[in-house]
Amino acid sequence: MSVAPAPTPSRSIRRVLGRSQLQAKEERPVLVLHDVTKEYPNGKLALRDVDLVIPEGDFVFLVGPSGAGKSTLIKLLIRDEVATRGEVVLDGQDVARLGRRQVPKMRRKIGIIFQDFKLLPSKSVWENVAFALEVTGTPRRKVRPAVDRVLALVGLTAQAKQTPSQLSGGEQQRTAIARALVHDPRLIIADEPTGNLDPLISWEILQLLLRINELGVTVMMATHNAEVVTALRKRVVALEEGRIIRDELGGAYHRED
Amino acid sequence: MFSFVLFSLTRAWQGFWRNAVMSLAATATMVLMLLLLSGFWIIQTGLLAALQFTEQKVEVVAFLQTNATDAQVTELQDRLKAMPQVSSVAYVSRAEALVRFRASMAAQGREDLTRYLDANPLYASLEVKMVHPSQVPVVSDALRGDPSIRNIINIEDLAARVLTITNILRTAGTVVLVIVGVIALFIIINTIRLAVLARAEEIEVMRLVGASDAFIRWPFVFEGAFVGLLGSLLTLAILLAVADPLSAFMADFFRVLPLQFGSLTRDLIALVLGSGIGLGILGSWLSVRTYLIR
Repeated sequence: MSVAPAPTPSRSIRRVLGRSQLQAKEERPVLVLHDVTKEYPNGKLALRDVDLVIPEGDFVFLVGPSGAGKSTLIKLLIRDEVATRGEVVLDGQDVARLGRRQVPKMRRKIGIIFQDFKLLPSKSVWENVAFALEVTGTPRRKVRPAVDRVLALVGLTAQAKQTPSQLSGGEQQRTAIARALVHDPRLIIADEPTGNLDPLISWEILQLLLRINELGVTVMMATHNAEVVTALRKRVVALEEGRIIRDELGGAYHRED
Repeated sequence: MFSFVLFSLTRAWQGFWRNAVMSLAATATMVLMLLLLSGFWIIQTGLLAALQFTEQKVEVVAFLQTNATDAQVTELQDRLKAMPQVSSVAYVSRAEALVRFRASMAAQGREDLTRYLDANPLYASLEVKMVHPSQVPVVSDALRGDPSIRNIINIEDLAARVLTITNILRTAGTVVLVIVGVIALFIIINTIRLAVLARAEEIEVMRLVGASDAFIRWPFVFEGAFVGLLGSLLTLAILLAVADPLSAFMADFFRVLPLQFGSLTRDLIALVLGSGIGLGILGSWLSVRTYLIR
């Protein structure tokens, strides 16, 4: 069972989707990549003609060997890089056409989680999460309830005052997830979130991401963890040498036919 | 807007103290550079005053014939005063010349031989000061040939030499000051860049969670301004502490100079505060810019 890539090449991609995908899901896709090619200045082709539609509420695994283009794909989504050709449409907006002032606002719709957590060592768990709100100009009175809420969601209320160095790897990653969630994002991007964690803790993090997905947040997780991908039977998008070579629902990490 | 400024100031303050070692290193560098800069600036100011004083000493002295009448002398004086190149004309009578001569002999501790003479051997003279020493030839040409003038001390050559030397010194002083200024600029900006670099992780997180450029930039700019302010105040404090011994030395060294220490202090405060805070802001602005523009 494979998901067909978005059909006709068109500038007004939303209208096209309005006829095909939107009717099926009855909602606007969170993310649409249309014929996306990324060539770096050094001539390396990181992505070639990638088509990808991620509907609201989806849970997608992004798999593939190192250098297949997963990181480039993520960079395009947060507009750290701009596609050489094609469109990246996030929540109805073509990210390449955003002005400099709109990029930060777009990024607040995405919560991003990394293998190395990227927590600030001098701040406590609570401050790390609150930081995401403070630096985006959230009024002080709204910060406290929002932070308390997400910390409760990830189960770190008791650890709120500790600094990252006092936490286990799993707890650090949960702090990062809380920070990613605090803006009420439309999409969570997890880049190898379990790469530094042992199998048991990895499952714990995955359960948390699944629960967040059940709450209605779209999740896209890039991973090398074959066991997890195969066991969960979610949608799997496989990249190899910059192309999508497989996109199937209920897929395994490796090709099964 | 107010809450944004408050936010940025709070973050700047926290940022400064959370990375205290780095911030204090930046401040210390700033103090050293500002001290160097103000040291050279003080020397340059002293040098300029000394040069100006030297140039003022250049004058044309015209000795008058003993038979020149008062009317002739007055007419000559008026003619000189009418020249735009002349700033002042002083008449030294024969009696006055003798008084000066005796005083100078006494000051040198030499025997006054004029008392053995029965008549005053000296001539009356006109001492002409120029607006600028380069105008010496014009004035001496105008005087040459006047019947009431006996001779003119030929100082054209001397004036030219003095001018060459003072111009070289002026240019050299300015060049050295500019070089020191540029070095201080680069070192200060580089130190602040290091302090910002130490916080690259924080900037990256800010970008990822969707902080706008202003929210990322201004705390660092305020922090840079704070480093600059602190550095300037410390520099001024050090300068104040050494001001007394220094100005005693200066007064001793430039004994004859009419140096205006009041305006020197004012200019120095402006220089130190201005370049300290300015460089702090510039340094952090440029450093953060590297992370913002992608």
